[in-house]
Amino acid sequence: MSDLWERVQPLLARVERPSRYIDREWGAVHRPDAAYRVALMYPDTYEVGMANQALQVLADRLAGLDDVACERVFVPWTDMSAAMRAAGVPLYTLESCLPVAGCQMLGITIPHELTYTNILEALDLAGIPLRAEERSEGDPLVIGGGPSAHNPEPLAPFFDAILIGDGEEAVLEMVAAHRAARERSATRAETLRDLAGIEGVYVPSLYVAGPDGALVASAGTPERITRRVLRDLDAVSSPVCPVVPYADVVHDRATIEVLRGCSRGCRFCQAGMVYRPVRERQADAIVRDAIATLFCTGYEEISLTSLSTADHSQLEEVLRRLFRRFEDADVAISVPSLRVDSFTLSLARLLGGGKRSGLTFAPEAGSQRLRDAINKNVTEDELLETVAAAFGAGWRRLKLYFMVGLPTETDEDVVAIGGLVSRVLAVAREATPPAERGGLRVAVSASTFVPKAHTPFQWEGQLPAGEVRRRQSLLRDAMPRRGVELSWHDAETSFLEAVLARGDRSLADAIEAAWRAGAVFDAWSERFELSRWTAAFESTGIDAGARAHDPFAEDETLPWSHIDSGLARSFLLAERHRAYEGIITEDCTFGDCTGCGVCPALSADVVVAGGGRRG
Amino acid sequence: MAEGFRLRVCHRKSGRLRFLSHLEVVRACERAARRAALPYAVSRGFTPRMRMSFGPALPVGTAGEREYYDLTLTRYLPAAEVCASLTAVTAEDLAPLQCGYVTAREPSLAAALTIAMYELSLEGGIPPEELQGSLHGLMGDGTISVEHKGKQKVYDLAEALPKEPEVTSAGDRTLVRLAVKMGEHGSLRPEVLIRSALGRDIRAVVTRTDLLIDDEGVWRRPL
Ligand code: SF4
Repeated sequence: MSDLWERVQPLLARVERPSRYIDREWGAVHRPDAAYRVALMYPDTYEVGMANQALQVLADRLAGLDDVACERVFVPWTDMSAAMRAAGVPLYTLESCLPVAGCQMLGITIPHELTYTNILEALDLAGIPLRAEERSEGDPLVIGGGPSAHNPEPLAPFFDAILIGDGEEAVLEMVAAHRAARERSATRAETLRDLAGIEGVYVPSLYVAGPDGALVASAGTPERITRRVLRDLDAVSSPVCPVVPYADVVHDRATIEVLRGCSRGCRFCQAGMVYRPVRERQADAIVRDAIATLFCTGYEEISLTSLSTADHSQLEEVLRRLFRRFEDADVAISVPSLRVDSFTLSLARLLGGGKRSGLTFAPEAGSQRLRDAINKNVTEDELLETVAAAFGAGWRRLKLYFMVGLPTETDEDVVAIGGLVSRVLAVAREATPPAERGGLRVAVSASTFVPKAHTPFQWEGQLPAGEVRRRQSLLRDAMPRRGVELSWHDAETSFLEAVLARGDRSLADAIEAAWRAGAVFDAWSERFELSRWTAAFESTGIDAGARAHDPFAEDETLPWSHIDSGLARSFLLAERHRAYEGIITEDCTFGDCTGCGVCPALSADVVVAGGGRRG
Repeated sequence: MAEGFRLRVCHRKSGRLRFLSHLEVVRACERAARRAALPYAVSRGFTPRMRMSFGPALPVGTAGEREYYDLTLTRYLPAAEVCASLTAVTAEDLAPLQCGYVTAREPSLAAALTIAMYELSLEGGIPPEELQGSLHGLMGDGTISVEHKGKQKVYDLAEALPKEPEVTSAGDRTLVRLAVKMGEHGSLRPEVLIRSALGRDIRAVVTRTDLLIDDEGVWRRPL
């Protein structure tokens, strides 16, 4: 097969940022003669997708296989996709510049609801039939996975299989199963049956709606799909030579995952529920891989990432060792989104050396009552103390995340955000030398609550957009003017997220209709148009308002009931009721097991690097 | 105070990597220097930066056969050794071609390099005589006016083109070789010149083949 470069090249003179489409970055692995090709796609632009760590990890795993090529794919921006369609150039993989349709497997990350139409756009550009049932023997197996796979139904008809949970081991098993099936010339249907036998793999075509609408597994397939979990993170080394982009990508730095999971137990947070239990990497492994990554990539910054990095029981040791190693070098070490209660004074001093990036905290709610209801175990005093410590140690930029529309929220709770921000500002000013106070800024970001599958709030509905907007204006009025930059997510986008996040398989037609009407890059505000979606919902008979706003009954079969994330339904229900009563639940990595059910269900255990519990 | 050892690196920007922007090239070169673990000097200040400075920027899509940057090292290493270690960690299409030390007193690349040599390979079977004639006519007019970001910019062609461009043909493509004088306020882009001469849009592969210092009328390479 000859590559498409000669046909791609003339298009590049006329598109924005052509470096998105050319490959040849440092670290890109080329295996032109491999017998089996996997295309790994992130359904957004190159700049967004290159920041995705999961893709790097999977690519690294696949690179270890003989005779397998793993190649990157992103969604071309609208100027490039138009040029490709006009010139009849299909979607191609970056490394070999060969058509995606010629690969044996196409793995697609499903990061969030606003990328759903991008997935259809990519399949269409690739010339792969959109629906699994329309694909023939020669088409690649289209496999999904990632955060939003935890409610796979709205996208189910577009995928041959969807992996629920960690991919490190499962991706190798899927490739092996497919290669074995090809060896014995198995049909596509037979191959999918084999894949369904792999733990964590969901094959939507084997589950069809029964008389009551609930999905029924066909004979020989498990009734529920159990989430895949990597029990020991150190069993898989971190990718130390990932591709280094030329373009200025979203997180233009090296990353190393220091722990997975978070059991703080915020009741709205899907990631905090579906990535349990907490598994830390050992300090030695982190330091070793961080140094190796910086040398192999030449990056000027490394970020120690996770849902909650400051919780790592050996973080201070890791930082001390890395700072010592890179003393006087032009290398920065950063920690994203810190937690108020684990951000200690000594951490503030340590990270003070690398304060290029601002501080980020997420109190989520303005009042203690609501923070208790959502199980955000942090008090105002703790937040103020932390801010004082950080500004005392030299920080000047702070970002605070809040959420509007949380269950049980009242107007007083919304107004309380303004009060909290004022007090934070006052404390920050106090801790800053007078000469530097002028440039002091607090960025406040308010998102809208979107109920998510597998959380204690999975039964809740979302507030109607009009009510969200009323509360947003309450918030604006309550916010101090000076020194605050307020931003919020637009209520219409959050509405669409809720419809899709809570949706069942009937949503697939609407997603396709919206894409046909031109919806693509919905996460890009300049591209998003709700009208395309309202028309799509209408034409497919979906009452979108009801889908977003009506709560589910507690005894109802939820659209994701066949996905077993390991969390006990009884635990989620109890947590929901504790929310109404304002009772908090402790973090099981600091205290006792609180009975979420994940460890016994998945035969996993909490892994704290130093052994025992944190604390 | 002049400290450290000022190493000048000549590299190419070719093949697919001609689609990089100047900023992307800068970042790629910095990262290559880090991968090579060179003893590079770091500027003092709030955010320390590698001490590296570049010659005139190349636009996205334009290739370069001999592009330059200066890198300050804190320790002397044989230039050939530096070149070899950089080559090992640089994409082929940005590969270093030559390294050599220059004195600290030498003016910066941006100030010293005033002549750019270009080669344009045009599609569309334009007869060389036609283009040569149009270019001659244009130079006879004396100036050309170019729109850049909504503003008109006028170039004095006698100043901007120190030599008459040469036009030849190569198969179904037309080749133009020309020298452009670079000023403090930017320089004339060769494809703009050809477009004005022909009065229509063109498809061309543009390569900057050399960057030179004008030493009182004598042109020489900076290395
Ligand atoms: S089962 Fe217990 S220890 Fe394991 S994650 Fe759940 S609460 Fe924590």
